[in-house]
Amino acid sequence: MKKIKYFILTAAALALIAGGCRKSTQYAALIVTGQNTIDWQTSSTLLKQILEESGLFKAEIVNSPDAGGDMTGFRPKFSKYDVVVLNYSGDQWSENTKQDFAGYVKNGGGVVVYHAASSAFPGWKEYEEICGLTGWGDRSEKTGPYVYFNRAGRMVVDSTPGPAGWYGKTRDFEVRMRNPGHPVTKGLPVRWMHPDDLLFARLRGPAGNIDVLATAFCDTTGGGTGREEPVMMAVTYGKGRVFHTTLGFPSGDENIALKCAGFITTLQRGAEWAASGKVTQEVPPDFPSAAAISVRPNLKIRTLDENIEGLGEYDIGKSTRFYTGIQEEIRRAAGDKTKLLEIEKKLTELLNNPSATVEAKKLVLRELSWIGTDYSLPAIKKLQAVPELKDEADFAIERLGAN
Amino acid sequence: MKKTSTRRDFVRKSASALAGSVIIPYIVPSSSLGLGGQTPPADRIVMGVIGTGSQGMSDMRDFMRLKDQVRFVALCDVDAKRLASAKDVVDKTNRSKDCRTYGDYREFMEKEKLDAVLIALPDHWHGIIYSEAARKKWDVYGEKPICRTINDGKVIVKAVKDNGVIWQTGSWQRSQANFHKGAELVINGRIGKVKYIEVGLPDGGRGIGTPPVQDVPEELDWEMWLGPALKVPYRGVCHWNWRWILDYSGGQLTDWAGHHIDIANWGTGLEYTGPVEIEGKGVYPVDGIYNAPVEYDILCKYANGIEMRVANSSRLPKGMGTCWYGDLGWLHVDRGNRISASDPNILKEEIGDNETHLYKSDNHYQNFVDSVRSRKQAIAPIEPAYRAISVALLGEISMTTGQKIKWDPDKEEIIDNPTASRLLSRPYRKPWTLPTV
Repeated sequence: MKKIKYFILTAAALALIAGGCRKSTQYAALIVTGQNTIDWQTSSTLLKQILEESGLFKAEIVNSPDAGGDMTGFRPKFSKYDVVVLNYSGDQWSENTKQDFAGYVKNGGGVVVYHAASSAFPGWKEYEEICGLTGWGDRSEKTGPYVYFNRAGRMVVDSTPGPAGWYGKTRDFEVRMRNPGHPVTKGLPVRWMHPDDLLFARLRGPAGNIDVLATAFCDTTGGGTGREEPVMMAVTYGKGRVFHTTLGFPSGDENIALKCAGFITTLQRGAEWAASGKVTQEVPPDFPSAAAISVRPNLKIRTLDENIEGLGEYDIGKSTRFYTGIQEEIRRAAGDKTKLLEIEKKLTELLNNPSATVEAKKLVLRELSWIGTDYSLPAIKKLQAVPELKDEADFAIERLGAN
Repeated sequence: MKKTSTRRDFVRKSASALAGSVIIPYIVPSSSLGLGGQTPPADRIVMGVIGTGSQGMSDMRDFMRLKDQVRFVALCDVDAKRLASAKDVVDKTNRSKDCRTYGDYREFMEKEKLDAVLIALPDHWHGIIYSEAARKKWDVYGEKPICRTINDGKVIVKAVKDNGVIWQTGSWQRSQANFHKGAELVINGRIGKVKYIEVGLPDGGRGIGTPPVQDVPEELDWEMWLGPALKVPYRGVCHWNWRWILDYSGGQLTDWAGHHIDIANWGTGLEYTGPVEIEGKGVYPVDGIYNAPVEYDILCKYANGIEMRVANSSRLPKGMGTCWYGDLGWLHVDRGNRISASDPNILKEEIGDNETHLYKSDNHYQNFVDSVRSRKQAIAPIEPAYRAISVALLGEISMTTGQKIKWDPDKEEIIDNPTASRLLSRPYRKPWTLPTV
């Protein structure tokens, strides 16, 4: 009895600790892949890492048989999962599997339709309803109207006959939020640069149940539409919630489109919303803006220490991302003296570090000019005697009222 | 505003301007002697320009359209090429080669005898040069935003008031019929009691990454361009694009505050006060030399209960412009002569004789010239300009600190936040100092 009590207490304590470290809810995610027009192995691995990096998901990958193989035995247990991520565009599933999937969504299952999955299963009507908008295959106006946004930002539902699905070359483009009030997009910048991706255009579909969350402008190069094309949609199908993103083409060795902090964040948030109907994740400090792309080479958000270390090597002409990362942490501290002191201590270490660059120290002095306390003051004053840092040190001392 | 000058003073001043021509000789063309139906010299405003970039030139041409009412006699710029092409324009208009040029404003101020000066400089220079011009008792047409920091603004306002000069801010929307009409309808209660105002300003745009150090163009005095700002190497960013760097400007937010926030205040009688609470959130570039926020969303509360939201236009239902929301409806104004209301009949309303009539001008430049002559306040005086930019600057402080800011609009102080209060000023790099007035 004693042992059991002890066990329960320990388990409770562990759960508390675990809760403190990562988000308490764990959603089960299934990434369905195995056939696709894109590199499905690489993209599925990245999707799994991205989902798990949020701390909210445990993700599994299931591969279908190869193209031309026998699909009858391919019947994932969708209902075991909170969210199914479709990274699939290939042979039609068996009728049973199709029914399982449609039933899963109808009964409230969450779905993420990722990138080339927009082109999957021509002729499967339920699937087109689940996606909201689709393309390619032999799709045309029969699939539904072409949905885009005009330059004034209004949605146009165009039933004129024509093909469905188009893309040009990979390139950087700006994503523009069209419904900034949706749980997935709430609090995020309304305009942000996204790198090296394929922009899908001329998507068609039933379109009756879609909420276009974001668009991107498809310029007319190479036959582009010259229109704002949907790139993220929230779709309701029965009781199910579908987050459909057309972004994330895996290309080259770098797969930059998938490592974009904007793609990662919207995928994580979209998957959480599909699984639960809400989004509990904070806006990350490195979300891109209209000014510049933001890439996470290892899919992780940089820590303060990583930013400090990167800033120490700053020089004119180099990326300022470590510096802006620290500035964002200062903003997010929102006046919390303990947090600000922690940052101040690390910045002061940089000032005292002989191997940190002069340019890094100049930037540090700008920040300390207003967040500085008695802690950093001696280090700042010392730099007043260093000719190349005198201006910045004087600037800080004067602003701190310490002269 | 205290009127310390009289018509007689003005004539005397004009006379001394002519006297100045003896010291720095130039040929007075016969046209300025009042012959042949031309404007006589006492009524002709002798002007100089500091800052002959795109905005300075645009303003100068607008003044030139007033024909013989204004004569430009001296120009100052840190860019010799721009200075030379500005002189060409002036010389052609004046039909003489006498327009004087300076690379250093201090020499310009020491040598020139002017009635008025047009100043169109990057924001970080406003504190010094606006105050010095006022101290010279020159009337000023000054570009908005009138200051880079609240502290600069206080000094400028005091200098302008103490010296009794005529001041016109370049917030020309006040001289446009739609903005005037909208503000006048609102201030006379045609949409009821105003509860809430939305001000939409432009989104920020693409950055240029992190360019390397470059040779300073031969024609540019980079050290002088930087002036009181911290010294940085030249990296190809100077004219126009200084606006996206926080050392010199606050980006689109502070560029446009002097327009649409100014109009918002005009229509609600908030021109001579400021908000009491300011809470803002910004989106900053994660990389690159441009570091001004590209998105911003700021909510201000005024002592009378009015709330004002200032945001980049993509965030707002009505986009760009000023929209007042009253308990009887809304009214929206924007550039391109746009004016609309919840009920179109509101726009047909006349303002009666006993109601509030806002200052009327249909030409911002003519209004300045008229004011210089009459010594009556111009349509865009200094304090409203300061109050308009203060909203943006306080929003900037809230975004930088991540905190809600409490502001005392009478004492012009941040309440109970010494850390945020440091952001009310930017120290000047030596040897530059903000004049004490």
